[in-house]
Amino acid sequence: MYDAIVVAIAVFIGVAGHELLGMAMLSRPIVVAPLTGLLMGDLQTGLIVGAALETIFMGVVNIGISSTAEPALAAGLAAAFAIKLGGNVDTIIPLVFPLAVLGLQLMNMIFSFVIGPFAPKFRELALEGKDRQITRLHFGLWFLHYGLYALIPFFAVLFGSDVVQKILESIPEVIMNGLTVAGNMLPAVGMAMLMRMLWDNKIAVYFLAGFVCVAYLKLPLISIAALGIVVAVVMAQVDFQIKNVSRAKAAVTSAAETDDKEDFFA
Amino acid sequence: MKLGADLTKEEKKMVNKMFWRSGAMYASVNPVTMGGGGFCYAMMPFINYFYKNNEEKRREALARHTSYFSTTIPCASFVMGIAGSMEKENSEKEDFDANSITSIKTSLMGPLAGIGDSLFWGVWRVVAAGLAIGLANAGNIFAPILFLLAFNIPNVLCRYYGAYLGYSLGSQYIQKMYANGLIEVLTKAASIVGLIMVGAMTSQTVIFKTILNFSMQGQSVMDVQSALDSIFVGIIPLMLTFGCFKLLEKKVSVITLIFGIVVLGILLSVFGIC
Repeated sequence: MYDAIVVAIAVFIGVAGHELLGMAMLSRPIVVAPLTGLLMGDLQTGLIVGAALETIFMGVVNIGISSTAEPALAAGLAAAFAIKLGGNVDTIIPLVFPLAVLGLQLMNMIFSFVIGPFAPKFRELALEGKDRQITRLHFGLWFLHYGLYALIPFFAVLFGSDVVQKILESIPEVIMNGLTVAGNMLPAVGMAMLMRMLWDNKIAVYFLAGFVCVAYLKLPLISIAALGIVVAVVMAQVDFQIKNVSRAKAAVTSAAETDDKEDFFA
Repeated sequence: MKLGADLTKEEKKMVNKMFWRSGAMYASVNPVTMGGGGFCYAMMPFINYFYKNNEEKRREALARHTSYFSTTIPCASFVMGIAGSMEKENSEKEDFDANSITSIKTSLMGPLAGIGDSLFWGVWRVVAAGLAIGLANAGNIFAPILFLLAFNIPNVLCRYYGAYLGYSLGSQYIQKMYANGLIEVLTKAASIVGLIMVGAMTSQTVIFKTILNFSMQGQSVMDVQSALDSIFVGIIPLMLTFGCFKLLEKKVSVITLIFGIVVLGILLSVFGIC
């Protein structure tokens, strides 16, 4: 029981601390594994496991939906099992990796299915001017998100990773897959909300330009922004000229009018 | 560095508060608005100060900053700083176009994420981890501490100075543009860049790929995804996003859209389309 709680805490500190403290990298194996080791009374094993897993995960940049396994979960479990069962890292890793892959899927499931529905709540509260509730919701979601997640290592250490793996695998594949498909499509809502704020029929075509730049030209965002600035500056110059010309015209016509008047009165 | 030397005491206090809050931007990360809730949380010191005498505008400003926002954390405070200085203008000038704040945010987030991700995630994290792995293998207990310090000192410094840089740059230039009557031109230019970036981000973040494949006598006759691609690459994400946009304009609530998409995703999976 103690071990299970401790590993859950280590994983929670890792993933939740990472998000709370400004992407502080607390969720990396090199931090989570030694932390697990420290709490379980075997820091040395934790360090070795951490070094091994960090090397494995070095290439994995865990942004958004698409990556293979979750580093913090893998590190916490690997350190715990290495300490409990003994044996070297090479034999432990095949034991925990399937669960870490499932863990990431579960994280995505919490992300889109549990946290997702709360997204519009922020705007609702804002429109009612309830800034304190926004703060509370902000940190409440934080705790919910990673607290739920920390239950995986808790049960994995308590009942053994194979048991938890079996339970997670009993979630039908179509549902898991469906939630991933939904997670990939959900940003459409966020984009639509942005479009509502920025849409203006006179300049709406630019949306298409940006879309084509990525879809067909596969340009990185930075280059698109640079091109966008070029277009915007050119348009601004044209606008400015039109403004000056119309101002000058107005000046000429009003001058002409006064001339007429002078003639008339002369 | 003498950043922010010309700010008032009150402004410095707000920028500081925003800096402390900016780190937790992704605490409430969600698939719809990503760091939107956190962005609003970080902007509260500005909003509550500038609009303390105008409740209606305060609510509008709060709601404005709950919209979609996503960038690398060390770069986030820079955008918040600029947004803060624009909120200040908006609170003082009647004819300020508040949508230009959203345009500027939208234009900045993508490029900053590109730079920040590759710099902090791609390069600096690997360097820091490389140093620490050697130490950890030797059983040195300072390995994780060294890793965290090496990564986080530049990370936090970037976020701290970014906050001041954003706010002072914003107040300097936006006031000048306002004084020269350029603000209309700026607003339109910012909207253009903003819309281009929304288009680009739609193509990048909204992902749909069908596995549907029609086959005849064991031979594939039509791969639906490549057929769709040959019509227009990303036609489904484009239609999906426009569908959501139209539904939002028809006052369909966001929560309905979210559940609709979740159900749609599961249905697509059940019928073997995705």
